[in-house]
Amino acid sequence: MATSISSFWQERTQRWLARRIPRARTVVLDQRRIFIFPSATGFFFALCLLIMLVAAINYQNNMSYALTFLLANVFVIAVLHSYANLSGLNLTAVAAEDAFARQRTAFRLRVSSESSRGHYSVKLGWAVPEEERRRRRFLVGLFSSPEMRESIEVDVVAEGSQECRFHLQVGERGWYRPGRLRVESVYPLGLLRCWTWVDLDFCALVYPSPKAAPRQARATEGGDEGLQIDGIGDDEFAGIRDYRPGDSPRRIHWRSIARGQELLTKDFAAVVSDTCWLDWGAYQGLGDEDRLSALCHEVLNYHERNLTYGLRLPGKEVAPASGDRQCKLALRSLATYGLTQEGGE
Amino acid sequence: MAMLLVPHWNHIPVWVLFAYLFAFLWRIQAFRGRVELPGRWVKVLLAIAAAIGVIVSYGSLLGIEPMVAYLLTSFALKLTEMSSRKDAYVVIFLGYFVCLTGFLFSQDLLLVLYSLLLVWILTAALISVHQRSARLKDVRHLRLSATMLMQAIPLMLVLFFLFPRIPPLWSVPLKSHTAKTGMSDRLQPGDVSSLSQSDEVAFRVQFNGAIPPSQELYWRGLVMSVLDDSGWRTLRYFEVPASEQRSAPVTTVGPKLDYSIIINPTQQNWLYALRYAKTDKRYIRNLPDFRLYSPVIIENEFLYPVSSWPDSRLEPRLSDWRREVETRLTVDQNARTRALAEELYSISSGTQEYVNRVLSFFRENAFYYTLQPPLLASENAMDDFLFRSRRGFCEHYAYAFTVMMRSVGVPARIVAGYHGGEINPVNRTVIVHQFDAHAWTEVWIDGEGWTRVDPTSAVSPDRILYGLERAVAAEGSFLADSPLSPLRFRGVDWINGLRLRYDALTYRWQSWVTGFDGSAQLDLLRGVMGDISVRKSLVLLLGTGMITMGLVSALLFFRRNPKRRHGFNAELHRFQHLLYARGLARVAGEGPSALAERAQMRWPNQARELAAINSQLQRLVYGEAAPGLDQQRTVRNLRARMRRLRLSP
Repeated sequence: MATSISSFWQERTQRWLARRIPRARTVVLDQRRIFIFPSATGFFFALCLLIMLVAAINYQNNMSYALTFLLANVFVIAVLHSYANLSGLNLTAVAAEDAFARQRTAFRLRVSSESSRGHYSVKLGWAVPEEERRRRRFLVGLFSSPEMRESIEVDVVAEGSQECRFHLQVGERGWYRPGRLRVESVYPLGLLRCWTWVDLDFCALVYPSPKAAPRQARATEGGDEGLQIDGIGDDEFAGIRDYRPGDSPRRIHWRSIARGQELLTKDFAAVVSDTCWLDWGAYQGLGDEDRLSALCHEVLNYHERNLTYGLRLPGKEVAPASGDRQCKLALRSLATYGLTQEGGE
Repeated sequence: MAMLLVPHWNHIPVWVLFAYLFAFLWRIQAFRGRVELPGRWVKVLLAIAAAIGVIVSYGSLLGIEPMVAYLLTSFALKLTEMSSRKDAYVVIFLGYFVCLTGFLFSQDLLLVLYSLLLVWILTAALISVHQRSARLKDVRHLRLSATMLMQAIPLMLVLFFLFPRIPPLWSVPLKSHTAKTGMSDRLQPGDVSSLSQSDEVAFRVQFNGAIPPSQELYWRGLVMSVLDDSGWRTLRYFEVPASEQRSAPVTTVGPKLDYSIIINPTQQNWLYALRYAKTDKRYIRNLPDFRLYSPVIIENEFLYPVSSWPDSRLEPRLSDWRREVETRLTVDQNARTRALAEELYSISSGTQEYVNRVLSFFRENAFYYTLQPPLLASENAMDDFLFRSRRGFCEHYAYAFTVMMRSVGVPARIVAGYHGGEINPVNRTVIVHQFDAHAWTEVWIDGEGWTRVDPTSAVSPDRILYGLERAVAAEGSFLADSPLSPLRFRGVDWINGLRLRYDALTYRWQSWVTGFDGSAQLDLLRGVMGDISVRKSLVLLLGTGMITMGLVSALLFFRRNPKRRHGFNAELHRFQHLLYARGLARVAGEGPSALAERAQMRWPNQARELAAINSQLQRLVYGEAAPGLDQQRTVRNLRARMRRLRLSP
């Protein structure tokens, strides 16, 4: 019962948030987007004020009244100051790097100031997903910030700009969105917590996690491409030649440099064929994700050895090539296999 | 942090200071990495030690002073364990508390200003706690904290004046350990002369109208009717029978004096006023011996308006009980004095003549008026005084005089209070100091009622005419114990002028702010708002609140004025947003051209428009205006194009 109520509420809040702070690449914080509530310290301070007021009443002491009211009003004024500290803060999603499933990747974010005031002690971070979070009592949740997966604190000077990097663990293959970014600050007095949930349009592409799987002989296409090769040990060291610009650093003959000679490149020659097709159909009997994982493994393997390879997926084909670009293209194709245009590509 | 200690220096035990020093040194050493910060058990031990120290010093933990001492000590100890943000909060909030407790002891203007400074610094500290790159001496924190405090002041004033002054919620621990100042309700020879060493202000008086000559200013405070083994004392409440509880009706005659008095805290109940005084102040009682009495102890500056009729006759008819009380005397004491009294009485024709004869006895014999009277024997003290030492202060003469009156059955009693006062030319107030303390007598004369007789005037007319300083000038004993008192420099014009100006300021401060209580509040609010209603108060409060908040936000946000984006970035953003709204999102790292290309593929029917937009964007980025158009027109053109764009989602 409790869970259903809380999930109902969460749904409501999420929907409301989505209306109020829609997804965007750039968000400038303003009054519609900033929430404010006294922090635990604020409540403690209020308690202190109450005690001070009681002391003033009991001792009929005018200056104590004055001091109490002064501090109480500082509290009230602090609402505006805390709010002003976040207001005008510009958050821009710069980029998210691709990653393999369940690994960490960097999300780059630019924080800049659009106002003539600086923004101090701004804490940015992603909250721990709802289901992993420890359950907290409602009241505690009200005046403390949720558990953070990753958070950093930045000061942004007036009209300045700063780039932050977050390393978040991504989920399964496909497009990964880290969810809403929490922007929070208790500056200047720590009595009030100003926060917002910003939905920055971050989207990281998640490749399948590489996993080796035995390749089966293809029944349908046997023999049409010449020799079948087994993945490992099929290329051979052919010799050393002069370095040509564009050679992969992986192939540089480092030992000769260590001996003080010129820059040399190791030359490899594949024994059988330089071109090889990595095929979806080669993994009969495996599930879709497992196939993708296996293909991913192969792509990396081939890329490692600087071979030329192509990729065949149902409905998509990547022409044989080699190099970083090919590797990326292949991995992206694997990552987006079977997905609709969710991420925006 | 040690600055917090300053206002409390005179009512905390010395060891608290050492606790501070100790905590400070520990902290410094820990900061240098020489010692560890105290562990949990050490902390507990220290806390217990502090509590024991307070109990040893004060006898208990209850009462304000022990609590303040404990607060200050724990504050010191907290410094040693401060390591996280939470500790900093606790220390700072404790600091605010310490400021408040300072006010419980004194609400002096200087102290208030000093506390304001402390609050300022504390607030700045609170801000710096939240600054990541907190440099210790960052002026910005101080500036921000000053700004915030300033912004809080208007609403604070409104709240201060509007907040109902409700009576205490529960009885609070009395300041039992504070020395009571001023007259006490017991009088022994030597009491007044020791009080006269103090240059503190007892009270200040503001007359409506002319100030009476200073020799007429006899501020009655206590009436001592009972002489017992340890000296004179007032009648206790329970000693007065019910029929005598009400003061006898007085027909007021002669001119009326209106004045108001602000008395400094005495920790006593009695109030001072001129003879036959009435007050409108609530709760103040008029005792049967015609003096004002507050049922609660005067713990703070207290303002009361008084009307006096100095020429009124007090109790022209004396009740039997009263006569019995006012003539009672211990029989077996002071035999020689009584003999002298009877001798003088026998040659007098009436009470008045007898009084004059006793006064001439003082005048004609070698009696000295001195601030340093010798100690008297405990038995037959008056015999010792009249026939041996003959050196005394006012209480000695009043004592001897009253004994002589009572010996022959004339009702007489000692009145203690203050005499005279200094007139401050700056604001025409009368400043009464502790050294103006005085004791004189009242003799009941048939038909006249209680008549004031001041035996001191017979011995030292200067005391009555010019005050104590002149009277003991030859002796050089005036304020002998306080060599730095500004009152000693009354001869130096500028110091005196400064002192009087400050005193006038203090008076104004006291009458405006610290004397502000429930009834003064009602008067003020009536004056401002006509009649008082909840609605008006709320309107005032909310109005001020809104105006303040409005001004503050204007201050905070007016300058913000977000720079209007213009040029390439703005237009690119607009373009991207447009496409995004139609379901075409930019991919990371994708430039405008690539985006436009994709858009063209997606909406082939708008391809030309999109291409045009792209080319105009390209022009903007290099700052080249289209031929014949300036930058701004390009932008306008671009926007029009974008508006015309029809893209199916």
